Amino acid sequence: MKILIIEDERDLAESIAAHLTKDGFVTETVFDFESAEEKINLYTYDCVIVDINLPDGVGFDLVEILKKIKASSGIIIISARNALEDKIRSLEIGSDDYLTKPFHLSELTARVKSILRRRHFGGSNEIRFHEILVNYTSRTVLVNQTEVPLSKKEYDLLLYFMSNIDVALTKPAMAEHLWGDNIDLADSFDMLYSHIKNLRKKLTDKGCKDYIQSIYGIGYKFSDN
Amino acid sequence: MKLFDSTNLYYILFSTLTYIFVGVAFYLVVEHVIYQEVEERLTVERRDFEKFIETHGMWDESCYFVENKIELDTAGNLPANYAIFKDTLLYNRYDNEYVPFREHSFISTIGPTQYKVSIRKSLIESNKLLKSITGTMLIVLSIGLLLLFLFQRRIARTIWEPFYATLASAKAFDLNEGRGMALREEKIFEFNELNSVLTKMTDKIARDYTSLKEFTENAAHEIQTPLALINSRVEELIQQSNFSDEQMRWIQNIHESSIRLSRLHQALLLLSKIDNGQFFEHTAIDFHARITTKLQELEEFIAHKSLTVTVTPGASFEVEMNPTLADVLITNLLTNAIRHNVPDGRIDITLTATTLTVANTGAPLTIDPDRLFERFKKQRQSSASLGLGLAIVKKICDNYPLDIHYQYHNSSHTLVLRKTARA
Repeated sequence: MKILIIEDERDLAESIAAHLTKDGFVTETVFDFESAEEKINLYTYDCVIVDINLPDGVGFDLVEILKKIKASSGIIIISARNALEDKIRSLEIGSDDYLTKPFHLSELTARVKSILRRRHFGGSNEIRFHEILVNYTSRTVLVNQTEVPLSKKEYDLLLYFMSNIDVALTKPAMAEHLWGDNIDLADSFDMLYSHIKNLRKKLTDKGCKDYIQSIYGIGYKFSDN
Repeated sequence: MKLFDSTNLYYILFSTLTYIFVGVAFYLVVEHVIYQEVEERLTVERRDFEKFIETHGMWDESCYFVENKIELDTAGNLPANYAIFKDTLLYNRYDNEYVPFREHSFISTIGPTQYKVSIRKSLIESNKLLKSITGTMLIVLSIGLLLLFLFQRRIARTIWEPFYATLASAKAFDLNEGRGMALREEKIFEFNELNSVLTKMTDKIARDYTSLKEFTENAAHEIQTPLALINSRVEELIQQSNFSDEQMRWIQNIHESSIRLSRLHQALLLLSKIDNGQFFEHTAIDFHARITTKLQELEEFIAHKSLTVTVTPGASFEVEMNPTLADVLITNLLTNAIRHNVPDGRIDITLTATTLTVANTGAPLTIDPDRLFERFKKQRQSSASLGLGLAIVKKICDNYPLDIHYQYHNSSHTLVLRKTARA
């Protein structure tokens, strides 16, 4: 899976690339509009991550170029502007998602994977992690071939975990993933805790190994070691 | 009242008064001239009469066959120098009507006796003359006034046309376009001045507005980008497993603080955007529908605290406002009611045509209720909330005809949103 990262802040681009590379993606980073345009025209990518504000251009124009050359890449726009108009515009011109800075790397990974899943619809519609099988078209979860009935939030949480295997996830990142970033109620950590407790119980009840590990003070990690 | 109507009203009022004054004055002058003429003729006839008496020593009616022309009467005890002019009506036996005459009476001595002699002259011709002169004069004057009036209207329309053009473009002026009004050069000095002042002013407003907007946008970008970097680096750090628990706690602190900083910054940006009036698009917002949707979104949080929520939609509370701001307003009011609630508490929302009341149970306030809507006023300074929620609510209300009040009664915090008379 090839991902192009277009972000003028070199450190941030590098950080995103490092995180995605660890997850098994092949990443390329460019820091300005011109080289981004060149790359887009020369190669094909499964997913393109575009910053709106570039020193020599606007990210929206890159999205329009991608649409013009009928590239099949998934497109995620990242922007420092949390403006509704920008969100609407980016979706209108054909990008798949819009993420406001600052964002959590785990959230970006989850969004990239979600887009890739949607893009390769013809192939598999399942993701597997050992004995857990998630069918994301029917939104069902099977453990050792038996179905585990999960609530919407528990399902979202599991999918988020499975998009970030072996990654330490912080509580704020998880809470924002489940409830959005405009909800800053302190209660959300308690609620997160109870959702995790329920998810863990439902999975282990069906004979699943407990992959959800607590990390002291930080949050959780979904891992098999 | 329109400019034309106002000037026309004064014009009509003034010209009517002038018209009446000129009419009356003209009538009086003509009348005076006619009387003078008639009296002069009467004086000539008196001389003729006296000459006749001197020559003949007597008066002979027969040489004057005109009826009532000269009449002799006994003098009585009138003085010798008695001489007056007066108006009188005499009966015309052919026309069967009274006819106006001017009469000159004086004392004359014929032989031994003194007589009061009255010489009369009919005013009928003179009156006809007076009437026709005055009438013609008034008609000519009326036509003149009417023409002047129409002409003035036509002229005013042409002269004021640039003013109306300026007014129209001022009405159409939109700050969002980022430039001042484009006004053309005018021939009339004052309008030209007006246009150039307006152009300068709106140019400046548009420039200031654009630079302010750019500043807030750039500030957002400049601050959010380093925050994004801090966040992602911290997340990478967290992935390392060779930290001590204490170091992990520090990293966690950095992480949470940077998230908090970013939210704080977003909230402050929102406040300044409201201040700058950067929310234009307005639609009628039905609060009941929005509150119902928002409550569904917050359902989990409500359930988590086991809160009982009642919504009493007495009448539809509708406000013409920006949808984004309405959403922020409702979210802040509801999350505020949830956050400061107690477990198993209540939230009561009541809507009437003019008020929206959100009441929630909770511990009494420890801060001054009057300062509740100020920025960073929090119940507990250490609490996780930003302390900007109600400041934002207040700011949004200030931008619309809405008023917000806080009451504490029976361990229930009540926020009342009221529509004010301001349209």
